Amino acid sequence: MSQSTDRKSGKKGLIAVIILVALIAIFALIYVFLSPSASEGSKSLTIEVIDNEGETTSFSFKTAAEYLRQARDETVGLTYEGTESDYGMYVETVNGVTADYNTDGAYWAFYVDGEYCNYGIDSQPVNDGEVYTIEYTVYY
Amino acid sequence: MGNGSGISVKDIALIGIMIATIEVVKDALAFLPNVELVTLLIVLYTLFFGKRILFAIPVFVLLQGLLHGFGLWWIMYLYVWPLLAVLTFLFRKQTSLLFWSAFCGLFGLFFGALCSLPYLILSGPAAALAWWVAGIPFDLIHCISNAVLCFVLFKPLHLALNKLKNAWF
Repeated sequence: MSQSTDRKSGKKGLIAVIILVALIAIFALIYVFLSPSASEGSKSLTIEVIDNEGETTSFSFKTAAEYLRQARDETVGLTYEGTESDYGMYVETVNGVTADYNTDGAYWAFYVDGEYCNYGIDSQPVNDGEVYTIEYTVYY
Repeated sequence: MGNGSGISVKDIALIGIMIATIEVVKDALAFLPNVELVTLLIVLYTLFFGKRILFAIPVFVLLQGLLHGFGLWWIMYLYVWPLLAVLTFLFRKQTSLLFWSAFCGLFGLFFGALCSLPYLILSGPAAALAWWVAGIPFDLIHCISNAVLCFVLFKPLHLALNKLKNAWF
């Protein structure tokens, strides 16, 4: 390979690194400005669990939690288990009822005031007066 | 293959080895979130063995589905890894270590954005944006780990593959 080609290749490498560093900064800024934020302080929340037989159990409480996972950890009488993934916890069992997507397409769906949650439980912000619904759902 | 003479027995053996090595590094590092060597191997295999990688990737993706279940992530794998091979092929004339380190880093950085496409179709732009933004910290880890692993391992693996290719083909 000629020296001129080496120089060109090295220059392109340097440009690629500069682009990478600039994009890392842009992505970090996007995260800082667009990630969900939560209001602090004491909030009144309700968590409803609708199990596989359609029975609803309701939990109302006050919390200072910023995100749903923390709020749920504080909820007396509500237990859950799941597996940790790259994007937070994937909830599989709620109050002893397991939803196994691979067996029958069942999963635990999360709603905030009736709207489907866009975030995982680790990043879903909680705000005063919200009603969370955790519903056993079968995909098909 | 590559000479218009179809796929040879050597090619089949090579594709098998590519699948096995990609599969092993994928599952061996699965305990470290967003730290993986699949990107680097697909880049190197594409640079050395060209279109043969397009036979290996679908089998790798199928095996991942069989091993870990066919979730939504599996749909993402169907296009994310072939796209990496195609992009590598387009830049195959680049020889700079810095270039390939940045390339692998960029792929890691955009991994979440690429994976948000099913959410765009299923749930709309707001859900896809929310899903992507929530995963940016993981994309940053993916980006840095990809770039560092490539910077450290690209040359030794390149050398080893060069020797193997000269001995085999």
